[in-house]
Amino acid sequence: MPAVTARGRRRQNALLPYLLLAPAFALLVGMLYPFGLGLYYSLTNYWLQYPHLFRFVWLGNYVALVTEPLFVYALEFTVGYALVAVLVQVGLGLAIALFLHARIPGRSVVRALMLMPLMMPPVITALMWKIMMASTTAGILNYALSFLGLGPINWLGSIRGAMASILIIDTWGNLPFVSLILLGGLQSLPGEPYEAARVDGATPRAILRHITLPLLSPFIVLAITFRMMDALRIFDVIYATTVGGPADATTNLHMLAFQYSFQWYQMGKGMAHAVVLLALVVVASAVLLRFWNRAATHTAA
Amino acid sequence: MNEARRSHWAAVRAVAVLVATVLLVVWTVFPFGWILLTSLKEPRDMLAVPPKLVFQPTLANYEALFLGKQRGAYASTRPDFPRFFLNSVLISTGAVALSVATGILAAYALARFTFPFKNQLAFLFLSFRFAPFITFLIPLYLLFQRLGLYNTHLGLILAYQLITLPFTIWMLRSFFMEIPVEVEEAAQIDGCSWWGVLTRVMLPLSMPGIAVTVILGFMFSWNAFNYPLILAGRQTFPVTVGAIQFISYEQVLWGQMAAASLVAIVPQLLLSLSVQKYIVRGLTMGAVR
Repeated sequence: MPAVTARGRRRQNALLPYLLLAPAFALLVGMLYPFGLGLYYSLTNYWLQYPHLFRFVWLGNYVALVTEPLFVYALEFTVGYALVAVLVQVGLGLAIALFLHARIPGRSVVRALMLMPLMMPPVITALMWKIMMASTTAGILNYALSFLGLGPINWLGSIRGAMASILIIDTWGNLPFVSLILLGGLQSLPGEPYEAARVDGATPRAILRHITLPLLSPFIVLAITFRMMDALRIFDVIYATTVGGPADATTNLHMLAFQYSFQWYQMGKGMAHAVVLLALVVVASAVLLRFWNRAATHTAA
Repeated sequence: MNEARRSHWAAVRAVAVLVATVLLVVWTVFPFGWILLTSLKEPRDMLAVPPKLVFQPTLANYEALFLGKQRGAYASTRPDFPRFFLNSVLISTGAVALSVATGILAAYALARFTFPFKNQLAFLFLSFRFAPFITFLIPLYLLFQRLGLYNTHLGLILAYQLITLPFTIWMLRSFFMEIPVEVEEAAQIDGCSWWGVLTRVMLPLSMPGIAVTVILGFMFSWNAFNYPLILAGRQTFPVTVGAIQFISYEQVLWGQMAAASLVAIVPQLLLSLSVQKYIVRGLTMGAVR
């Protein structure tokens, strides 16, 4: 295009990224608008059945949260569940990754099979396990346990059973994610430190502790971050299995916000619960980002 | 003596590895096998004590699912599964199409240009990946009721952008960034406009990446449960919400639920095979290659 001068092209290029972003930005605004609207509703007493009582209550919903026992429990359960789930899943995931990395026979087959749970809809995963946990007498899981002289466990009907069930189902769906990230990390590690350690006669345990884990730390932090974020807002599995029960024992903040909004139609209160959950997610991600930066610079150095 | 001890330990190790491998495989595969068996059972075999591993298989559950031949006593659990499946296909396809059409341009801008607030904008898109669904679900439900988008395919396609758009932009950006800038500069020197560079150089070179993004985006939409649970109605339910319709206050239709679960994951299992190498990359928004 000879007609376009260098200057004209530069000016065109300065505007171009904004033009390119415009359609996606329009969708972004479409997402931010409901979010802002939600924040506003969290400051009102919006109750779907009583529109004529609609009133702006400032921070009333948030202040009321503190005195609500179920909110306090849901907050504890949300945080506690996320910490336990991340610990279990990253711990087991690391063990599996190290195991698969050790060139066991049939590794590629195992690896391919582990991809299967990964892209399942969480709600279907939950239904699959619900069938296996079905009843204390007829479920295949309790039948299998009976051969080990264990059980039967009241999986979804007892408080501890329901908590364990959700952890098991969540772990089945997401353990492969952690394992495969860490396996990929292990396979990308440089060979030199290992050769040097071998020359020095280091034990396998020392190698794991002083070479493998530090080098792997960015991958571990990444796995923790993704799992933590999803564990804090776990909903599909709970909804499909216990719906928060028994006796609200598996009611996390997401579930409680859902119940306030779509069972009791108290949209303002529900939204206040949701905002607290969002704040929790923001804090967790800020903390994890700091770890991530430290791990990344540590490895680079 | 020392030799014998060493071979003894090697044997123990081999057995331990074998046991661990078998456990891992059983843990991973057994649930699939069990719902397949469950989906082939008559209601009377369903809750037998002990569970029946050998039984007379029947296709009646699939018949009920696809032909609407209701066998349970309660009409409230009658799902329209073929329609739910079609809904899933329609909504997921629409959501991905909209995300890719807008995402290609945005990802190209974020990958190749420098402009103020570029990183902040990229991270704003990313933050939607981690935001709890409920923060959007409540206001969207109220808005959709007002705008007439409730229980429509279009409404769901728009809501699904919260899932597919951030993913599409970050994935495509990571693929675009893998293409050397020199290739683009060469095309520019040959007189290509930005549009020419994008359509004749970038898109053909990143075709495999775009294909992966489309397939994974489709799968993430397919998995969505939260948004359609609230924003859809009986006419627009996707398979994920359809599958839980077999649970009612009166009873659970285990056989049909198992059949529905299996049918709902067939696309996922098939598509997983085609994008095996990219699944982890997709799940981390392009962060892990």
